[in-house]
Amino acid sequence: MRRLAPAGLAAAAWPRSRPDLRAARFLRALLRRVPRAGRACFLIAFVNAAIWGLVVPPFQVPDEIAHFGYAQYLAETGSPPPQVVAPPYSDEEQQTLQSLEFFNVIGRPELRGIFDRAEDRALRSAFARHPSPLGPGGTTSVTDQPPLYYALEAIPYWLSPSSNILARLVFMRLLSALLAACTVLAVFMFLRELFPHTPWSWPVGALVVAFQPMFGFLSAGVQSDNLLFLASALTLWGLLRAYRRGFSDRAAVAIGAATAVGLLAKLNFLALVPGIALALALLTWRERSRGRLPALRSLGCALLAAGIPYGVYALLNIYVWHRGGPTSGGIGAATSSALPSGEVITLNESLDYVWQLYLPPLWFMHHRYFATYPGWEIWLNGSIGLFGWLDYRFPLWVYEYCQYIFYALSALAIAALVRLRRRLLGMLPVFVCFGVMALGMLGSIGYTGIRFRLTSGTQFEQARYLFPMLVFYGAFAVLAARGVGRRWAPVLGGVLVVAAMALGLFAETLTISRYYG
Amino acid sequence: MRARVVLGLATLVVAGGLVLDMSRSAPRTAGSDHVAPLIFSASLPGAGSVCQPVVSLPRDAAVAQLTLGTYGKPVPALTLRFLTGSRVVAGEGRLSAGAHEGVVTMPLHARADAEAASEVCLYVEHPHGTTVVGGEGVPESPFSERVNGRTAPGQISLTYLRRGSESWWDLLPVLSERFGLGKASFFGSWLLALAALGLLGVWVAAVRLLARELGGASSG
Repeated sequence: MRRLAPAGLAAAAWPRSRPDLRAARFLRALLRRVPRAGRACFLIAFVNAAIWGLVVPPFQVPDEIAHFGYAQYLAETGSPPPQVVAPPYSDEEQQTLQSLEFFNVIGRPELRGIFDRAEDRALRSAFARHPSPLGPGGTTSVTDQPPLYYALEAIPYWLSPSSNILARLVFMRLLSALLAACTVLAVFMFLRELFPHTPWSWPVGALVVAFQPMFGFLSAGVQSDNLLFLASALTLWGLLRAYRRGFSDRAAVAIGAATAVGLLAKLNFLALVPGIALALALLTWRERSRGRLPALRSLGCALLAAGIPYGVYALLNIYVWHRGGPTSGGIGAATSSALPSGEVITLNESLDYVWQLYLPPLWFMHHRYFATYPGWEIWLNGSIGLFGWLDYRFPLWVYEYCQYIFYALSALAIAALVRLRRRLLGMLPVFVCFGVMALGMLGSIGYTGIRFRLTSGTQFEQARYLFPMLVFYGAFAVLAARGVGRRWAPVLGGVLVVAAMALGLFAETLTISRYYG
Repeated sequence: MRARVVLGLATLVVAGGLVLDMSRSAPRTAGSDHVAPLIFSASLPGAGSVCQPVVSLPRDAAVAQLTLGTYGKPVPALTLRFLTGSRVVAGEGRLSAGAHEGVVTMPLHARADAEAASEVCLYVEHPHGTTVVGGEGVPESPFSERVNGRTAPGQISLTYLRRGSESWWDLLPVLSERFGLGKASFFGSWLLALAALGLLGVWVAAVRLLARELGGASSG
C-alpha cells in the first residue's frame, strides 16, 4: 500500500501522456457512435449476467473448474499449463471443491452444496489452512486451448481485493459478464447493419439475446465460451459492415483483430475460418473498383491483423512454453480420423452422423445414431435450458410449449424473409459466406461428436456450441416480429423480449430452487 | 401506444406468474449428508446399527428420508440418532415397524445443538430379516460407514426435510441465509436481496427502454 500511494498520487498530479489521451479520445468517440439504445442494452446485459453470477454457486457452470484452473495457473506462473500428467488443480481449488461438496452436487439434482452454517464454517476453516494457489498444471479438458481468455481472467484474479479463491471467482465472473454484455452490444450493431431502417428492431434482437437463459447461465461462470461468442459476433458484424459500407483498411484491421481474438480464445473458432476467408475474398473482389492495389492492401491488413497475433502465439507455444505444436495438440486431436483404439471412422460415417445431428435421416442412411431427433432434444431444448452440469431443467411442458412457439415464430420469420426478399437479396453473397461459417461450425461439432461418442459412449453435443452464431438468434427474433406486418411488428417484438425476460427470470428461480431450495 | 400497453400487460402477466409460482406450497428440503441413494450400500442382517460421520444436522430438519429395502417384508422399527463429538444426542428420530420398503420418511427431533452433530447412527431395534440401506459405494476410510462397528465401503444417504409444507415466500428468510453460504462473504445473507433488487432494476430498465424504442415505432 505504501508503495502504491505515491504512484497513485503521481498519476493524479501529472498530466496524462499523449497516447493515454489519444486512447481516451478514441474510446469516447467510439462510445458516441453507439446509439443510446445500444449502450442501454449493454448495461442491462451486464447487470443481468452479473446477477446470474451471484445466483449460480461457485464452479456450477459446465467446466468452470477446468477454466478456473487454467486461469489460476496462468495468473500464478505467467504461462499456460504445461500439459503434463499431474493433478489438474491447485491445492486451493481442490480443497475448495471438496469443502463445497462440488463432486457430490454435480449430476445429482437431488443434492445440494453448502446448506447450513456448520458446513460454511468447515469451508472457511479449510481456507484458514492457506492451501497453495499454485498447482502443477496437469491436463484438463481445456489445457489444449489458447490462453487469451485466461490471460484476461488473470487481471481480475490479481485485482481482486481479497486473495480468497471465492472472492477472486466473483471478480473473474464479472469479466465473463462484461464479455457477455459486449456480445449483446455486437448483436445490436449487427442488427443495425442488417435492418438499418427499423431502429426499434435493434434493441429487440439484442435484448432477446441478453435474456436468453442459457446465454445468461453461461455468462455467470468463468468459461472461455464467453470470449468465443464475443469474437464470433464481432467478426460477423465486422464482415456485414464492411460488405455494406466498404472494405476500408480500418474495417479490415477490425475484422482481422476480431478473428485473432476468436482464434486465441477457443479452438472451436477455427471452424469459422473458411467462411471468414471466403468473406474476405468476396470483400476484396467487391472493392476492385477502388483499384486492385487498395483492395489487396485491405485484404493484407485483415490477414496481418489476424495472422500476427496467432503467429506470435504459435511461436510462444512451441519455443517458450514447450506445448507441442502451434495449436498445442488440440487440432491434432480434433482432426484425427482414428479413435484411440485404432479404429478408423470413415468419411461416410462422419457425414452420416453430421447429417443426423441436425436433420432427419435419409432413406439410405441405415445406421441410426440417435434414438430421438436431436433437433429438438439437443438443440432446441438444450438452448431453452439445460443448466448446471447438465443436471436440471424446466418442467417438460415448458419445452413442449416452446416447440409450438418456435414453429409459429419460424413461420412468421419465413413470411418476413419473403416480404424483405428484395432488400435481403442484395446481401445474399455475404450471407452465403455466413452460411459457410455456420456449416463449418455444424460440421466441426459433428466431426468431434462422433469421435467423442464412440470413444466415451456419452453425448458430446450441447446447444451452447451453436452460440457463436448468436447474432442470427437476434435476427430470427426480429424477423419473426416483422412477420406480422409493419403495424404490429414492434408490439410482437416487445412481447418476444418480455417472453425472453420471463424465461430468463424463471431459469433463475429454477436455479435458486435447485441449489438453495 | 399499442406497444406500451402490450408491454405493460405482458409484464403484469409475468409478475402474476412469478407470484403464483412462489405461492405454491410443498415440503422443502433442510439439507442432506451429501450422499445420493445410488445403490444399497449397507446391509443389516437382523438387529444392528450402521453409523457414519456427518458434518452437522441442520437445525430446521424435522423429517429424515432414507431409502430402505427389506425384500418385500415390512420395515422393522428404526431409530436414527445424531451424536456430538462428546456423545451427546443432538437429534433423534423413530419409526415404528410396518412401513413399506422404498423411500421412508421418519419424523426427527433436532435439539438446540443439532449443528454440533458429528456422527449419525441408524439402529434396527429387533431381530428381523435383512434390511438394506440406500447410499453410495466409497472406499473404506474414517468417513465411510461402520456396520455393526466394522468399517464398510459405503455411505448411507440421508435427506432432511423441513416441517410441513411451505411456499417460497415462507422460505425466503431461509433462502436468504443459504444464498450467502459457500460464497465470497461480501454481503452475507443480504446477497439474495441484492440480486433481487438488481433483477428488478434490470426489468425496469429493459421495459423502459422498450417502451421508448417501440412506443414511437408502433404509433408511427
